[in-house]
Amino acid sequence: MKPGLKHFFDSMEAYLAGPPGAEGLSKLSASHPGWDVAPERMALYGQFVRGHVRSTLEKLFPLTRKAVTPAAWDALVEGYTRTRPARHYELNRLGEGFPPFVADGTQAQGLPPFLPALARFEWADFAVFASEEVIPERVTQLTPNPTLAVLEQPYRLCAFVRTRDGAPPAEGDELALLWRHPEALVTYYMAATPPALLVLKMAVEGLSEEAVAQATGMAAPDVHAEVVRFAKDGLVLRPVE
Amino acid sequence: MSPRYSHRHGLKPLGAGIGLRRDFYEALPRTPRKLDWVEIIPENFLSLGGRSQRALDACRERWTLLPHGVGLNIGGPDALDDDYVTRLSALVKRLDAPFFSDHLCYSRLGGVHLHDLLPLPFTPEAVEHVVPRVREVMARVERPFLLENPSYYAAMPGGTLQEADFLRQVVEAADCGLLLDVNNVWVNATNHGYDPRAFVDALPLERVVQVHLAGHDVGEKVLIDTHGDRVCDDVWALYRYTLERTGPVSTLIEWDQGIPSLDAVLDEADLARTALAEASR
Repeated sequence: MKPGLKHFFDSMEAYLAGPPGAEGLSKLSASHPGWDVAPERMALYGQFVRGHVRSTLEKLFPLTRKAVTPAAWDALVEGYTRTRPARHYELNRLGEGFPPFVADGTQAQGLPPFLPALARFEWADFAVFASEEVIPERVTQLTPNPTLAVLEQPYRLCAFVRTRDGAPPAEGDELALLWRHPEALVTYYMAATPPALLVLKMAVEGLSEEAVAQATGMAAPDVHAEVVRFAKDGLVLRPVE
Repeated sequence: MSPRYSHRHGLKPLGAGIGLRRDFYEALPRTPRKLDWVEIIPENFLSLGGRSQRALDACRERWTLLPHGVGLNIGGPDALDDDYVTRLSALVKRLDAPFFSDHLCYSRLGGVHLHDLLPLPFTPEAVEHVVPRVREVMARVERPFLLENPSYYAAMPGGTLQEADFLRQVVEAADCGLLLDVNNVWVNATNHGYDPRAFVDALPLERVVQVHLAGHDVGEKVLIDTHGDRVCDDVWALYRYTLERTGPVSTLIEWDQGIPSLDAVLDEADLARTALAEASR
């Protein structure tokens, strides 16, 4: 690449990586003597590039945004934008680093203590929804849904996300299960329950309903009913009878 | 004039198409209305599973799908993204797309994706930089490739070539096709004060394989290429002017913001189909 073109790209990178405002535009313009450019036209590019980060975060993390003041949200977005998070050609992937970024700043910025867990939950929701894992149309044995994600979190976020009533989430350890429903293709989630974990254990370890009934003392029809229930929800995949 | 690019590559006009957007994932594959082909943004299908793949497969059963990328970064300083090109090539082949396209711009700097289409300076150095990258992409994907004329709001520093000449030099030296975005021509001509018809006349029209039509926002001092409205009358007129010179070419209605009902977008495609029919008489 010729030096003149490299200088052009370097100057644009410095402008787009810097804070918004007139100073960056002045520096950009000054680095190209004789360039007759309207600052408000060049400013559009800075606005567009920054705007993509903001709009993507606001699409992926609506509950995290709602849980803080507009000023606190703006500070989070601006701080995160400065980390230059768009490292992948798929736009939504720029949100992957947002939950740890929120976690790093929660205490110092006086944000709600549940915010990091909530951001992590919202990212997991999207990641499951868009997972590249292929859910097989047919299986020969009880199989865990390959899109399943498990989150250990110190708040009861499943109920919080479901009700969206404005009250903060209750404290308390929760094991959240998130998976993409094989037909609806949307993310399902639930706080893990003993029956759900039992059915998952059966799928992972290849345990038969009879063996589980014998080992747990449950009635065999009850074990079967749980398998059918969680297969209907798509948590596990069941062979066609 | 050299032989048409489309003839050399056996590419036939496909008619009027629209873009597969998330809003239409469910409705588009089931529409009973006439539609000739569908354009996809490959970035939405290269690494995302679930609904997007189901919509893609359903559309593939009915129409020719044409990948039109926004992330190739053909003009940027970074090396081409190997994973991106590998996945793009696999997608183009899986869809058996007759050709694929992206923009004559840059979209990544220092490893950071800008998720926007930024203009290059119109210089011989930029031509020299882009041409081997286009050839590399075509060699790897092994299908005809089109470059689109992007909209731009400011001429970049150091430009010594006219915009049309810059486009011509790139596509001729790289021997690729041209995706002529007629709305971009109108937006650029208005924003930079030149005659859009003279611009069209100055292009290597024998390389035009596809046309884009879209709406734009009219600001106080500048038109913004938003793809957020119906195609305006001026752009329709410029489209007809172009077709008189190129003959019928595959034409896409782009609508990416403030997306209306599927029927409203298909109505626009019907208008394009009518213009294409008139051009073929």
